[in-house]
Amino acid sequence: MRFQDAARDGRAVVYAGIQADPLVARAADALADAARDERILARAVMNGGSTDPTHWMAMFPALFGPAADAAARARSEAVLAVSLEVADRGDAARSQFRGAIVEELTARLLARRVGPAAVRRERRILFDGVRAEIHPYDVTVERDGDAEAYDCKWGARGIGADVLHQLDDARVHAVDEETALRVALVVFDAERSCAVRLARSTAPSAGTTIVALETLDGLATVR
Amino acid sequence: MTQGIGITVEAVIERALAAYAALAEVGEEIDDEWSYIQDLSEAWRDRLEAVAAARGSETVDPSIDDAIERAIDEIGGIEDPHRAIDWLSTFPQVTLLALGERP
Repeated sequence: MRFQDAARDGRAVVYAGIQADPLVARAADALADAARDERILARAVMNGGSTDPTHWMAMFPALFGPAADAAARARSEAVLAVSLEVADRGDAARSQFRGAIVEELTARLLARRVGPAAVRRERRILFDGVRAEIHPYDVTVERDGDAEAYDCKWGARGIGADVLHQLDDARVHAVDEETALRVALVVFDAERSCAVRLARSTAPSAGTTIVALETLDGLATVR
Repeated sequence: MTQGIGITVEAVIERALAAYAALAEVGEEIDDEWSYIQDLSEAWRDRLEAVAAARGSETVDPSIDDAIERAIDEIGGIEDPHRAIDWLSTFPQVTLLALGERP
């Protein structure tokens, strides 16, 4: 098993521009330090129609009400501000930004556990005698004898047969080569919604870890 | 916004579920996702109904009533079925958080 940078077609070049936008990094910074409820706030605002911060502050009284402590409120305000910036980019761009933010957040959380040098982006995984997948994995952890591959989705609806097959194929090929490869799908959505989506799927998922919004912090602490 | 005085958990969840049902109808415009929408809606409706069953007679603070009313307003303006499907997951989470419940 070996890793390789993905070749960039036109679409990938455009998306790379989104990934490199400073807004993506700032959003990932804010979300990496956020708690579950603040991440739900981000999900709502980045999905939302209103760009009025007072509307969202009123919708999340536990985060912005008088009972919120100063540190938590500061985190919530940072999440709200950056989420509104994403929403303000317009419907066409925001879906790309949201995807890039989930990827960057995943990379940052993983880096806390394995160090930034081991975390790579947009990589293909090659196996002897196996035709390589066209689509790269969003995030990989590449260490000798200890590799991980992640795809990232904004919502549970993104859990589809294609991505589940791709992740499971890589896992199976790694087993064939007697190499360790953990595969996971990171979904910035509730566990309940992910479970519903998975229940409808006939694609293989037993060997794929689903990392939902509630369990994101496990990327930084648990292999 | 509605007045929160005397509003119960059961009443706000009843309003939320009515808005949620209308949101599901918007999402159903995506034919391929019809079954997913039914399952997703049922899963979250069950969760909200469980909260109503456990805390239904409890009175909510006006700020919570306002929070849920704002969430209802937010989804009430959605016309795009793709956004509606996204909010079929998001709206119950926001509602449950407002009520101090785990999603």
